[in-house]
Amino acid sequence: MYASRRARLTGLLYLAPALLFVLVFTAWPMVQMAWMSLHSWSIIEPPKWVGLANYLRAWNDRQFWTSLGFTLEYTAWITPVLIVTGYLLALLVVPNTPLRKLTRAVVFVPVVIGLGVSSLLWYWLFSYDFGLVNRALVDLGVVAKPVVWFGEDANRAMWAVITSIVWKVVGFGMLLFVAAMQSIPQEVNEAAMVDGASYWQRVRRITLPLTARTVLLVTLFSIIGSLLAFDQFYLMTAGQPFNKTATSVFWIYLNSFPYLKLGYGAALSLVLAVIILLMTVAQMALARKTHA
Amino acid sequence: MRFKAYLRAMALGVATSAVMTLTVPAFADDLIMWERSGGNAGMVDRLIEMWNEKNPDRRIQLTYIPHAEMVAKLAQAIASGDVPDLMGLDLIYGPQFEAAGQLVDITDYFKDDPTLKTASPGHMMVATYDDRLYGVPLYADVSALFYNKDLFEKAGLDPDKPPTSLAEVRAYADKITALGGDVKGYFLPGSCAGCNIFTVGPLMWASGATIEPNADGEPLVGDGVKQVLQWARDMIKAGNVHDDARAENGETFHLRFGSGKVGMMGTGNFNITLARDQNPDMNFGIALLPGVEPGSAASFIGGDLVTIPKGSKRVDDAVDFMKFLLSDEVQVEGYAKLLNLTTRSDMTDNQYFEAEPLVQDVAKALSVGRTPYTLTFFEQINSPQGPWLQMLQRAYYTDDDLDEIIAGAQDQMKAIAAQE
Repeated sequence: MYASRRARLTGLLYLAPALLFVLVFTAWPMVQMAWMSLHSWSIIEPPKWVGLANYLRAWNDRQFWTSLGFTLEYTAWITPVLIVTGYLLALLVVPNTPLRKLTRAVVFVPVVIGLGVSSLLWYWLFSYDFGLVNRALVDLGVVAKPVVWFGEDANRAMWAVITSIVWKVVGFGMLLFVAAMQSIPQEVNEAAMVDGASYWQRVRRITLPLTARTVLLVTLFSIIGSLLAFDQFYLMTAGQPFNKTATSVFWIYLNSFPYLKLGYGAALSLVLAVIILLMTVAQMALARKTHA
Repeated sequence: MRFKAYLRAMALGVATSAVMTLTVPAFADDLIMWERSGGNAGMVDRLIEMWNEKNPDRRIQLTYIPHAEMVAKLAQAIASGDVPDLMGLDLIYGPQFEAAGQLVDITDYFKDDPTLKTASPGHMMVATYDDRLYGVPLYADVSALFYNKDLFEKAGLDPDKPPTSLAEVRAYADKITALGGDVKGYFLPGSCAGCNIFTVGPLMWASGATIEPNADGEPLVGDGVKQVLQWARDMIKAGNVHDDARAENGETFHLRFGSGKVGMMGTGNFNITLARDQNPDMNFGIALLPGVEPGSAASFIGGDLVTIPKGSKRVDDAVDFMKFLLSDEVQVEGYAKLLNLTTRSDMTDNQYFEAEPLVQDVAKALSVGRTPYTLTFFEQINSPQGPWLQMLQRAYYTDDDLDEIIAGAQDQMKAIAAQE
């Protein structure tokens, strides 16, 4: 008993630094946020207790649900695009030849650029007057006159943003896929080749099943990242047209800071956090069931 | 050996940092001032320079905060108690910070000061809360109708007779657009709430309407709202506005008139110098933004207040700076010399304005100008997600019923005003 308690204490001591970090930087802010969400809190005035009023308001806030709907739509489109593009790129560059290594590096470079910077870059690339995209489309005869990418059509704006984000983050997924593919023992593929399996048969029957966990991981990253999308829409669309491209986090930001409604922003954040948590749990459960 | 080289490099780095710190000193006697970044930075720099030359023992250290982050940054500073001694505040946020009790009451310091009598009325209105004064004007922006005289001539219009009603604006715009090429008669920013309250708001005011909630709490009151929306919708449908205006979110708004491709547009006094720099050969004039009735006019008076946040330890020095800004010398040698509007109406007769008729023209807008007074200006009007821009976008780009559009915006604005 004594030994076991001692062992437990030792284990706890080893855990303590990480535990302390999580408590101070994750758990405590969450508790504070929950406390804030029960107040009318403008920062410049003393907070006032309002109970669950902020949650009730969130329930009736049409823009919040519109924003959540748009965020889910954006996530639903960008996630498969990122996974498929990343996976295909990984298949192309998985062998360690100099040219392929260079390609990997080139595709990965945008990952290390800040999201704000890349969003501004693409904002100007899509510019009606000065953008390279419009210039190329007009010169190639794809369109007769420049396209208004942002502010006219929500779908067009979303796809412009998706293009910029795929450019920005696809290298990350590709790299994880490459690592997963390279960890597949060479003999497995060789045996399949001896049995006469074609390239695509090997991809479907060997590579995909053996990299399924990485696919799940990248999907998870992509979903969570997309549900929390902010910078790209804040900088490129500003929520336009008609607030149709305002994401959930954008709406939370607006309420918390420019509108000085920190309590309401905290309530919206908690609602969003719970939604993301539920989706993640569901996704992991589904994945486990599939693998069982 | 390598370790020694490493140590030497480190010593060099520390020494360089120390030297750099010493070359940009912040003395204990300095006052700290925050101001939002923007097109008026050059003038604010000059005002601070003038003060620092005269007051070497109490210089001001000025820091610019990105415009969009100003309110959040101030709120955080107030919450943490680490406030600057002076702060430039977009005047529309004045009431919000005054109501929250976060600004120093300076009424008694200015009790017998004659300069306040002629200070910009729009600024003074938002700087006053419950009959107490909390700030003075730092600078003024007013909106007016800029028109391209070269395009007027090409279209067969008299360049010395700018339009005096919305119907005339429409008729002139049709003629200018008919010139063809990439030239359009007018400009309406489709995704910029702030640009629209600055330039379309006055069209409604001049047409007898109100935008922000009135004394009864009713926003968007009067036929002028619908008339202006219908006029704008028709202008766009007639092809008098560039297609990409729909995406204008304020980023390139100030460059539109200087491009030489726009016949007329509502913009501000800041555009005089900008348009000259951008297109030196362009000949242009300035008139008042008109309403439905011929001869009616209005303008939005914007700009910044200079205020003292609660917690400032240098209130007396800060008040002296405020008085310095309103002094005759600074009004002429600071504001007027740089062709910015003076913040006192009795200082417009000066040598610099006499030599520049366009500034005199734009200064006329001060007499018909107003500033909306509301505690939730950003949320109701200035936000890209707010009801004001939504209403305009639906009017500009859809065929929805205008009464329904206005009613929807009124409901949203009232709901915002009712929130705690």
